[in-house]
Amino acid sequence: MDAKQLEIIRESVILGRVSEIGQAVQAALDLGLGAEEILQGALLPAMDEVGRRFECEQIFVPEMMASAKAMQTSLKLLRPLFAQSGVEPVAKVVLGTVQGDMHDIGKNLVGLMLEGGGFQVQDLGTNVHPGRFVQAVQGGAVIVGLSALLTTTMTNMPAVLRALEAAGVRERVKVIIGGAPVNQAYADEIGADGYAPDASRAVGLARALLGMSSAVTGLPLQG
Amino acid sequence: MPSPRVTWQSIAGESKGAANRPHMGEMPKVRVDFEPLDRWAVVEPRITLLDAARAAGVGLVSLCGGVGSCESCEVQLVQGHVSPPSAAERSTFSESDLAQGWRLACQATPMSDLRLWAPPSSLEHSQRLQLESDLPLAGSPSLIRGQKTGLGLAVDLGTSKLAGYLVDLESGETLATAGAMNPQARFGEDVISRIAHVGRQPNGARELREAATLALEDILDELCTAAGAERSQIVEAVIVGNTAMHHLLLGLPVSQLGAAPFMPAAAQAMDLSPEQIGLRLEPGARVHLPPLLAGFVGSDHVAMLLATGLWKTKQTAAAIDIGTNTEITLAHGGRLLSCSCASGPALEGAHIRHGMRAGPGAIERVWIERGVVAVHTIAGAPAAGICGSGLVDAVAEMRAAGILDARGAADPRAPGLRSGKDGHGWEFVLVAATDDPGSREIVLTASDIRQLQLAKAAIRAGLQVLAQEAGVQEEMIEQVDVAGAFGSYLNIRSAVRLGMLPPLARGRFRQVGNAAGLGARQLLTGAEQRAAEEEIVRRMQYVELATHPEFAPAFVQAMQL
Repeated sequence: MDAKQLEIIRESVILGRVSEIGQAVQAALDLGLGAEEILQGALLPAMDEVGRRFECEQIFVPEMMASAKAMQTSLKLLRPLFAQSGVEPVAKVVLGTVQGDMHDIGKNLVGLMLEGGGFQVQDLGTNVHPGRFVQAVQGGAVIVGLSALLTTTMTNMPAVLRALEAAGVRERVKVIIGGAPVNQAYADEIGADGYAPDASRAVGLARALLGMSSAVTGLPLQG
Repeated sequence: MPSPRVTWQSIAGESKGAANRPHMGEMPKVRVDFEPLDRWAVVEPRITLLDAARAAGVGLVSLCGGVGSCESCEVQLVQGHVSPPSAAERSTFSESDLAQGWRLACQATPMSDLRLWAPPSSLEHSQRLQLESDLPLAGSPSLIRGQKTGLGLAVDLGTSKLAGYLVDLESGETLATAGAMNPQARFGEDVISRIAHVGRQPNGARELREAATLALEDILDELCTAAGAERSQIVEAVIVGNTAMHHLLLGLPVSQLGAAPFMPAAAQAMDLSPEQIGLRLEPGARVHLPPLLAGFVGSDHVAMLLATGLWKTKQTAAAIDIGTNTEITLAHGGRLLSCSCASGPALEGAHIRHGMRAGPGAIERVWIERGVVAVHTIAGAPAAGICGSGLVDAVAEMRAAGILDARGAADPRAPGLRSGKDGHGWEFVLVAATDDPGSREIVLTASDIRQLQLAKAAIRAGLQVLAQEAGVQEEMIEQVDVAGAFGSYLNIRSAVRLGMLPPLARGRFRQVGNAAGLGARQLLTGAEQRAAEEEIVRRMQYVELATHPEFAPAFVQAMQL
């Protein structure tokens, strides 16, 4: 009964059934399943599968967004219960599109996937001044994600790194970058800690940088 | 016999349309005129319009051997009578299209002398190119007889290509046309990379400015030679281009164009001496640069609106200039709304496994029926790759054949589909390699389909946002002018099937070629046009898609096939 309900939830997320997922999660809770169980047993494995399918080019952005939306809907229902049972999010991530750049679809997708991966995400939006990233780190973020979509704005990424250094907090965080014009070589050049080509791999990168196992079952929870 | 330019993977029959016609007896021959190419033929009324086109030296594209399946040979009846629509034509065209005279050339036969209009997308490449600069828009005002004497120079300074025209200012006649690739391309294919070049290299701005000036000088030489004219006869010039091209030519700052809010340094109309542009003309000659509309919508767009008449239309109508950047204007109730969409370089063949620019050997038409793929390449050369319009056709056909679903995922059992390199995704074979030397296998990959989905979604979503801002439903749009070289190559029907363009009747779409070039010429001789420039800028409402809340959801939705 329990396993079946978890499977239903898993399917719903993978297929992006945003209108059905709420009922499915509620049904699981009514059966007595815990929020933690639902997260670990259905939601996280589902998002891992979505990520795998995206990387294999079996699904594309619209499908990934639908799944991420289903995930968000579930998390909304479960969050109050996490707080009650003392379940902490994996880690705090701050995301933003750099100064001068208004693109956000990719960044938003990364945010959804990271949430789906159990991270707590603070999204600063677009055209973000470096100082705001520094504030977020001072507020506890351990990963900074920078996005830029133009070759003329990616040059604003080093300014964020310098601001973090100037504030004395660079050592505290991992900085990852993404966006069409950037790549691993650019990440190395500017001293970022990593680069991910898409939202799915951003989750794996974030976990790896925090020394976490990439397999869902081995997920340690940190504050 | 099927045209030798088509690569067949099965046998096709000859033009079947006429074979089933009842015997006509001895009927007098008829004259069939083809516009806008100005060619004609006197033919037996028994033969199809497709055969009549061949007799007239008009190259209509036909992939299916004239059986009415591939829908490539569309023509519009302007004057005269033709046979009633066949079953194939009824399944191709809506009632309103048929009422407007749209026919398949392979199916219809003449019943009187005829005048037919062949849209650019039905024409073979070389004839299409010729039209690009010369296209008199059906029903558009021709160049006006001016008050001035002497010659005028009009230039459309495009990101990839320049188009130049030499005009007799008194008669309004175009004496010569010339085209050239933009030499700035070596500093960056697209506008953003050229702006980045200026930022990175201390001499970057000067290099780009000099490249532009050099190109103008070369075109000027070519035009004067072709017309047998002297530079000293040129008293007036109009140069149009997108905002970045305009700024690079004038040496204006461009770095702010590379970041939000993408503001032009100076957008007003300018009248300069040739020296200020670096052009060698008589010092008394005037160079007019029309105003710009926004950071990514330039004076070329203004010129296009003039030439198409969109600026003063009473209809609800749209004009779309498709490229790496697509600019759209929607006119409704006297309002003009514009936006710029980053459609990306996939439509120019970039980031596509076997993608290439339109040129000899580029697959530009694709037709799939019962598991067989037929392609048509530019100039009939052996297939070397696929260009943007070919990609649009291919994906539309793959979707129609059920090889792709609405999400763009492929049915793994489809014939011609195989596993991709490194086990990632899949590949679909368009052209199989043969033993002929120089023969290449051409495939489409899952990633190629995705790239096209992104490009076409940006364009459609841009139009949808404008429609929403204007308070109209897409169905209410009465006319869509598709401008630019790509627009002339594009198979409109495939673009509609893909959802790149809204699902309106075929007759509502016009392919207007280089309307910006025509507009630039009109600005030389027409006082009305000069006044209109200012009015356009005043009335224009620019919609910034990047910050519009409806764009992202519309974009994601529009990715569906």
